[in-house]
Amino acid sequence: MTDTAQTPVIQLKDVNKHYGPLHVLKDINLTVDKGEVLVIIGPSGSGKSTLCRTINRLETIDSGQILIEGRPLPQEGKALAEVRAEIGMVFQSFNLFAHRTILDNVTMGPVEVLKTPKQQAQDEALVLLDRVGVKEQAAKVPAQLSGGQQQRVAIARSLAMHPKAMLFDEPTSALDPEMINEVLDVMVGLARDGMTMVVVTHEMGFARRVADRVVFMADGAIIEEGAPEEFFTHPKTKRAQEFLDSIKGH
Amino acid sequence: MPLSELLATYGGMYVTALLTTWSLTAVSFLGVMVLGLLVTVLRVCPVKPLRVVGDLYVQIFRNIPGISLLVFVVYALPNLNVVWDYRTCVIVTVVLVGSAFGSENLMSGINTIGVGQIEAARSLGLTFTQILRQIVVPQAVRSAILPMTNLLIAVMLTTALASQTPMKPPELTGLVSYINTRTVGGITPFVASALAYAGTAFVIGFVGNRIDKKVRIIR
Repeated sequence: MTDTAQTPVIQLKDVNKHYGPLHVLKDINLTVDKGEVLVIIGPSGSGKSTLCRTINRLETIDSGQILIEGRPLPQEGKALAEVRAEIGMVFQSFNLFAHRTILDNVTMGPVEVLKTPKQQAQDEALVLLDRVGVKEQAAKVPAQLSGGQQQRVAIARSLAMHPKAMLFDEPTSALDPEMINEVLDVMVGLARDGMTMVVVTHEMGFARRVADRVVFMADGAIIEEGAPEEFFTHPKTKRAQEFLDSIKGH
Repeated sequence: MPLSELLATYGGMYVTALLTTWSLTAVSFLGVMVLGLLVTVLRVCPVKPLRVVGDLYVQIFRNIPGISLLVFVVYALPNLNVVWDYRTCVIVTVVLVGSAFGSENLMSGINTIGVGQIEAARSLGLTFTQILRQIVVPQAVRSAILPMTNLLIAVMLTTALASQTPMKPPELTGLVSYINTRTVGGITPFVASALAYAGTAFVIGFVGNRIDKKVRIIR
């Protein structure tokens, strides 16, 4: 409980966002402490992905404040790029650089942004690729890898920046079922190592096992949040109860 | 006029004409690529007025007949105290028109990249310039090899515009006009030029295909 005294890594205050007439984020207040694993769940269209993407400003917000380690998130330019470099992001569709090898994908950030010498970046990249189990694929290009392998490379690419926190936007939603676990295993490992994580997912097993806190969203608002065991067994709101009932069959 | 007689009389001039066509093509295409890339950067940059300028450029120069633009460059620009020799006039005309098409090729190359890779690069902390240099341009250029091969052939054919000026020495088409105003050459001079164009185009196409196969991005 010593962490609570520190500045939260990520803090959202009264964040609102509209897409035209659609109010996609409603008065969002959220803090993520150092080392905390926060899992965001909710029906599709609930705004959970949008929320995740506002944290490194891939989505802009209309009002409210987002603080990274207590400092307001810059709006644009070099200052924004510097903050983004400190926050890893893993996407649903992997988004590896198609024209570069796996190794180059991982060294791109360190070499271009952190100005790490190329040889050192490659050495570090190989260690990371080994850690996520795709070291043998280092010389291939992304299209030659399976979805699960690509997503693990994407995680390694983020880790190469030594991020203060990592955002996962439905990292297993585009994967074939047999590949989901290989990606989740890497994420579990990260969580165990103390990485600060915000994870948008439909994987309830992962949420139960790894999350420190679960946030349930619906219709752009945070409806309920709490410890995973408490949330999954005794949801306080009717909306969360309905959602959990609807996915029980799966 | 039989081919043997044509070559005996004008063979040397044909060689010079072919070399002139080649050099016009090479210089013009270089200009097309550089200006086309610059216009494309304008069209994707974060500043809206610059994007509008880039789009406007393409709309204007893609939709003007090359010959009209050449007439403008040769006859109208001197009124603004811009006087170039004929060779420069032809090159400028070809570059202005060609770069509009070149930019379209690059834009369709960019559109194959997908917003996801750009977002991934942004979330790594890469700046706009770094994203252009590392992600966008290399992929756009590599997927634009085949359309650019076609454009190179089109640029070569467009250099025939020079035949409408008194440029010395004439290029392939200009030489045909020259021969046919001096003698009754019939169809043979045209055939000789056509073969030179077609042969060059064949080589360009062949090389373009080889390059494309080599650098094509597997998706």
